Amino acid sequence: MDLKIDNHISGQFGRELESMVSHVLDMGGIVEKQLNQALQAISNEDEKLAHKVIQEDYKINAYEIMIDQECARLIAKRQPAAIDLRIVLAIVKIIADLERIGDETCRLVKAALEQFNNSEQRFLVDLDHMGQQVLKMFKGALDSLARMDSLAAYEVYKQDKKIDVAYEAITRQLMTHMMEDPRAIPRIMDVVWSTRSLERIGDRCQNISEHVIYLIKGKDVRHSSTEQIEAMLKPKG
Amino acid sequence: MISFSPSMQSASYLTAPDELSDTETELAINNYCLFYGQQQALFDINMKIPKNKVTALIGPSGCGKSTLLRSINRMNDLLPDCRTQGEILFAGQNIMQPNVDVATLRRMIGMVFQSPNPFPKSIFENVIYGLRVRGVNNKRRLDSAAEDALRKAALWDEVKDRLDESALNLSGGQQQRLVIARAIAVEPSVLLLDEPTSALDPISTLTIEELINELKSTYTVVIVTHNMQQAARVSDYTAFMFMGELIEYTDTNQLFTTPSKKKTEDYITGRYG
Repeated sequence: MDLKIDNHISGQFGRELESMVSHVLDMGGIVEKQLNQALQAISNEDEKLAHKVIQEDYKINAYEIMIDQECARLIAKRQPAAIDLRIVLAIVKIIADLERIGDETCRLVKAALEQFNNSEQRFLVDLDHMGQQVLKMFKGALDSLARMDSLAAYEVYKQDKKIDVAYEAITRQLMTHMMEDPRAIPRIMDVVWSTRSLERIGDRCQNISEHVIYLIKGKDVRHSSTEQIEAMLKPKG
Repeated sequence: MISFSPSMQSASYLTAPDELSDTETELAINNYCLFYGQQQALFDINMKIPKNKVTALIGPSGCGKSTLLRSINRMNDLLPDCRTQGEILFAGQNIMQPNVDVATLRRMIGMVFQSPNPFPKSIFENVIYGLRVRGVNNKRRLDSAAEDALRKAALWDEVKDRLDESALNLSGGQQQRLVIARAIAVEPSVLLLDEPTSALDPISTLTIEELINELKSTYTVVIVTHNMQQAARVSDYTAFMFMGELIEYTDTNQLFTTPSKKKTEDYITGRYG
């Protein structure tokens, strides 16, 4: 589905909406880069890169504030209705999710600041594996927004289940290891928090996909079952 | 009494919200067509206008919304080559029938126009004009009717000390409220407002909008407006018309957030054309 937002009679309004969406995508690009670097820092145990990720978070925060202001200005000046209104509402929520993903990324990357022994290295591999899944989900969510594609958004929505399964599997292994070697608990706890952060990022990606579906279809699918969403997305007739 | 039946005729045009089917109908427009000579201006309109609610008609210029509004109190009778088909039911009677007494009908269905048109008389005489025409001359009755109508029109406090002054000295917004008071004084059931605020400044506009909100407890209001935000603010139900057809008629909240028709969406977001 191709949603055109720039064909307003008031060209200025169309351009404002377009630039707002492209700012959200820019912000998403930064978050994606941060997440990617955080995963790199963990698998390479690269402390320097980890510190860089934490330092760069301010950029995401600044974007959130700027886009929020743009939204407020647009509502005050243009009184958007229907699809335009839904774009603005969805964007306000999406950038809040993006900002939280940024925060979770800073928490996630702390696993890179810890020293792990040989037997513990495998957890970092698992973490990286889960991280790549989350990164893919994140890219999918941004992509569905860029293309205004509700079906693609739904595909992202469904991926969250896989992330939850991976989260449980890793957590179980970590618990076993901590029971076997209680001295490792302080180090392993960092991995627990990182796994938790990844799981939360997955949830946020799912939220973004819900907002994208709302934006396009006008239906709020939060707290709906997958069957309900599928029925809604199915073309009528 | 007319009630909303779930099986509306020509239901393809309408998404009847559940709420609408519970409300009592004031006017039922069925398969209504209107022609100016050879030119057809309205195409098979089907609409139930609920009692004690505000229904807004929106659409681009020339889409037929004013024509439809005027049909409701037979203003189109004044045009020589105007023909109609179908029916408009009011209180169970088809008001398009030739034997309907138009003067009585217009007393029950009042109309207010775009630019305020007070008569060159005093404020008081303007308000009670309809009653005088009906032969009411009892001073006490006229006084109380005037006060009552002016209060309902939210104008009483501003004019109570100068009822004998010429109505033409009032500001535009006051004149428009005076005209509304004049329409109310004859105790109609329905008020038709044809772009009532398009000649007014923003503050007067807000006063009239506030007034419309209060009037709906007593009257059924149908309003034609070019200002979509106004339709969104004041109405309970909104009908979008395009090229003489009723495209979408539904709950105002729904129409302005998630319209079901592409044409409606394009129009309310300013993409029409």
